[in-house]
Amino acid sequence: MAYSELIKNFERVRDYMREFYVYGFRSREEYRMKSPRAYDNERRRIESWLGDYMSFRRDASGKNVFLSVDSRAIPHNPLYKAFKAKSFTRNDLILHFYLLDLLSPDLASHRQALTVREIAERIETDYLSHFDTPYELDESTVRKKLREYEALGLLKSERRGRELTYSRWESTVDLSGWRDAVLFFSEADPLGVIGSYLLDKYDAAPDYFGFKHRYILHALDSQILCALLEIMGEKRRAELQVRSPRRGDLRQHTVFPAKIYVSAQTGRQYLLSYAYRQLKPILFRIDNIKAVKPGSVEKQPEKYGGYCEKFGGYLWGVSTGAEYLIDHIEMTVHVNEGEGYIVSRLEREKRGGRVEKIDDHTYRLTADVYDAIEMLPWIRTFIGRIAELKCDDSYVTDTFFADLTAMRQMYGGDADAVQ
Amino acid sequence: MLFNEVYGSYFNAVAAILKEAVSGNLSGKRVTEIAREKAFAESVLTIPASLRSKDWPLLDDSLRASVRRAPTMPLTALQKRWLKALLSDPRIKLFSPRIEGLDDIEPLYTQDMLVFFDRYSDGDPYEDSDYIKHFQTILTALREKKKLRVRFIGHLGTHHSWLCVPYRLEYSSKDDKFRLITASPRDGLTVNLARIKSCELLEPYTEEEYQPPQPRIETLTFELKDERNALERAMLHFSDLEKRTERLEDGRYRVTLQYERDDTTELLIRILSFGPMLRVVAPESFIAQIRERLNKQISRGQTSR
Repeated sequence: MAYSELIKNFERVRDYMREFYVYGFRSREEYRMKSPRAYDNERRRIESWLGDYMSFRRDASGKNVFLSVDSRAIPHNPLYKAFKAKSFTRNDLILHFYLLDLLSPDLASHRQALTVREIAERIETDYLSHFDTPYELDESTVRKKLREYEALGLLKSERRGRELTYSRWESTVDLSGWRDAVLFFSEADPLGVIGSYLLDKYDAAPDYFGFKHRYILHALDSQILCALLEIMGEKRRAELQVRSPRRGDLRQHTVFPAKIYVSAQTGRQYLLSYAYRQLKPILFRIDNIKAVKPGSVEKQPEKYGGYCEKFGGYLWGVSTGAEYLIDHIEMTVHVNEGEGYIVSRLEREKRGGRVEKIDDHTYRLTADVYDAIEMLPWIRTFIGRIAELKCDDSYVTDTFFADLTAMRQMYGGDADAVQ
Repeated sequence: MLFNEVYGSYFNAVAAILKEAVSGNLSGKRVTEIAREKAFAESVLTIPASLRSKDWPLLDDSLRASVRRAPTMPLTALQKRWLKALLSDPRIKLFSPRIEGLDDIEPLYTQDMLVFFDRYSDGDPYEDSDYIKHFQTILTALREKKKLRVRFIGHLGTHHSWLCVPYRLEYSSKDDKFRLITASPRDGLTVNLARIKSCELLEPYTEEEYQPPQPRIETLTFELKDERNALERAMLHFSDLEKRTERLEDGRYRVTLQYERDDTTELLIRILSFGPMLRVVAPESFIAQIRERLNKQISRGQTSR
């Protein structure tokens, strides 16, 4: 099949873009996802969409392609471009413009809505007959497209006697009054790609919003996220196809989707759900979910949602540990004169934990969480101030102090030490 | 359906071409220009040729459109549902969009479906009427290219009054805060919106007065060994910054990051959060700060369980 910069299925390119963006040190030979030709085609497509953000480097393993952006310096998420590269047939394209033109209110004013037959005839007489080259468009193709556009919300149908008539949905939404909100939320909302589609309707998108700590990669998971949110809104079960991060194989799960957990510090998104087979709440990384299908409506959504809500109350992040045991942890921090910002940090970053003042220079954070080892990265940010660290899982404190010793060796003398 | 050709760059490009054709201003050169502007790098090879050959019968030989009106597309159900969902976001009050046309629409999601689990809890007061007023004044200044008089209390309690040219309203999802970044009088002055006490819209600024700030960029290099999933974690965690990753021998990797000098302390604690999984190798001044924190920890007493 001839190469095209457009794609039918998003899933394959999703993997390549993640690889180029997150890692960017692999050579062509190391991409085992598909054949070398498939790699060349995907790389060429991504280059066509995102050429300004792609770089190349040659090392001993070959030529490496990578995507790198300073996300604070760009006004719009470039990865949204991939969602605007859906392939289509020429019937899709010409019917899009003919139908929306034919059913425009002022052109169809002598009759507000047209039947399928009338539409097919008018396409022939009003549009195709202007061209010498014959172009076949049968009624069933037109009917199929009308149904599709009705499902998208572009057209609406009404019965006229025994026949169905179609007309355009004319929205009364004042898009001009939404511009700044769309501009902001197209970057700040987890489903900002929809905002990006809306921005294409304006003549220009200003760049007066900037974003710090901005993680753009989640955009690649927008299809999965959108499907999950729709299922959650209908309180249905979801059938998931999930790639195991360790083994790489695909597994099926039937779950009740309860919440989307979003990390503001990595951009990664997770699904918190009740897994019927395992009889417990489970978190799935959304970038590992390959497909989602709606299942039956859950008869007891409050019950399973309640399990997840209670479970979420003891999560520090997204890890439960293998045993689902709750650890008690205490960190005592020394605060010098004029370092009130450290207390502010404890307060604003404590999540489900509690902060108490011991004396003018000492504060203690206490938390009861699944898998306290997940707190270690945050605890390490207080290195230099930690007066005491206690946890009823000794593995947590042992790991912390062993890491501290390793860091002292690393930065204190042995220049080759990387643990 | 999120991934659909009706949102695609090709459809947008063809719509823009037909719009110019309907107005009678289209030329062959413009067809190519629009394809380049609205679509992708290689689209100039396909869009003009398909229109010219009548494979897409939308333009005649004189570049007149077969459609009679400049193309428009109604909002899709998905777009309306997304807009409706935004109405329940506390930050929407900053924009006050009109809600007409969304009354009978089901929101795509509700706020209680999302948990930003590591977002700081002292975010900006989006419901506060003064805060909203200041935000909207700044937005107007940005939109209308006007100067501002901003009065605020700095983090040390000092009162400030700035006459400034606004550059960006910068939002951080992690901090859940907005900052105003200015183009002048001094390079890249920044103030948290929640600290602003008053904000006054002034006269338009001149082109000479608009001097976009030049960020002071620093470079940091670290090496890491892929243990405890450190490679993937570090790659994602630092993916907000411009970075370059190289593979070394023995399963080690070298990562070079670009960051703004003002963010050095923040980057320091982000680096510390990885513990011994990564080792900073440059610059020496950054390593010295890590060493200082480690020495302070040792003097603090507890270095083992």
